[in-house]
Amino acid sequence: MATATYPPPPPFYRLYKDYLQNPKSAPEPPPPVEGTYVCFGGNYTTDDVLPSLEEQGVRQLYPKGPNIDFKKELSALNRELQLHILELADVLVERPSQYARRVEDISLIFKNLHHLLNSLRPHQARATVIHILELQIQRRKQAVEDIKRRREEAQKLLKEALGTLDGP
Amino acid sequence: MDIISQLQEQVNTIAALAFNTFGTLQRDAPPVRLSPNYPEPPANPTEDAANFAEQPKLMSAALVKAAKQFDALVAALPSSEGGEEAQLRRIAELQAENDAVGQELQRQLEAAEKELKQVQELFSQAADNCLNLKKPD
Repeated sequence: MATATYPPPPPFYRLYKDYLQNPKSAPEPPPPVEGTYVCFGGNYTTDDVLPSLEEQGVRQLYPKGPNIDFKKELSALNRELQLHILELADVLVERPSQYARRVEDISLIFKNLHHLLNSLRPHQARATVIHILELQIQRRKQAVEDIKRRREEAQKLLKEALGTLDGP
Repeated sequence: MDIISQLQEQVNTIAALAFNTFGTLQRDAPPVRLSPNYPEPPANPTEDAANFAEQPKLMSAALVKAAKQFDALVAALPSSEGGEEAQLRRIAELQAENDAVGQELQRQLEAAEKELKQVQELFSQAADNCLNLKKPD
């Protein structure tokens, strides 16, 4: 592992000297990394998953379950947020020394909101893939139709040409 | 920007408005009389009285507007039909259909290229014939 300030490029280029003559004489590219790997002294993982709130030590305010109704939960959390902001304003007027608990509640609501929004991202990704596949299928069908049409036109032209040649 | 990013931006905006509201009001509030033992604090009407009375109203109006916009954005979310498994199934069937159409496209393409080569060959023969460059056999 090179730890110099300006490390030289890796010396693998020598293995590819005869690549143009014989593509098989050079080694294959390395397979994709799996699991955890070290990059510039930091540990990274290939399995990118959103850690659940409990793993981060944050209480989850919206109900767990297989399918979450995102719209309903988001609006419920928004209402809770507004109520808590109002509560904080009241506390600041009446008993200003007890602001800490209220501020904690508000930050808890914000963390839940952001976690909900982040858990929408995989869903969005899959929906994007579905959309792209549908577009691609439509383009391919269009291309098939175009090719069929052109072939028929070409056949027609050839027959006409044949007719013209055989004519007189 | 896509809807989820807009929602995230809106959440951050609401947070910023909230702490700006409380911070400004706390910083600029005129002194108030706490107990009858101490005299009334000197009221300096520098910029306070007129502007200050409206600031809570303006800022809370902005906060409520931001919250309403958040609700509007949430309503604009596309309804999630089914769950993860339904989406994965749809992706699988779309991939199958894509493969089938792709093979059809490949077949048509190969047939069209074959015909093109044939026509090119015939045309070159006819042209050579016309121009008497090659002996017709």
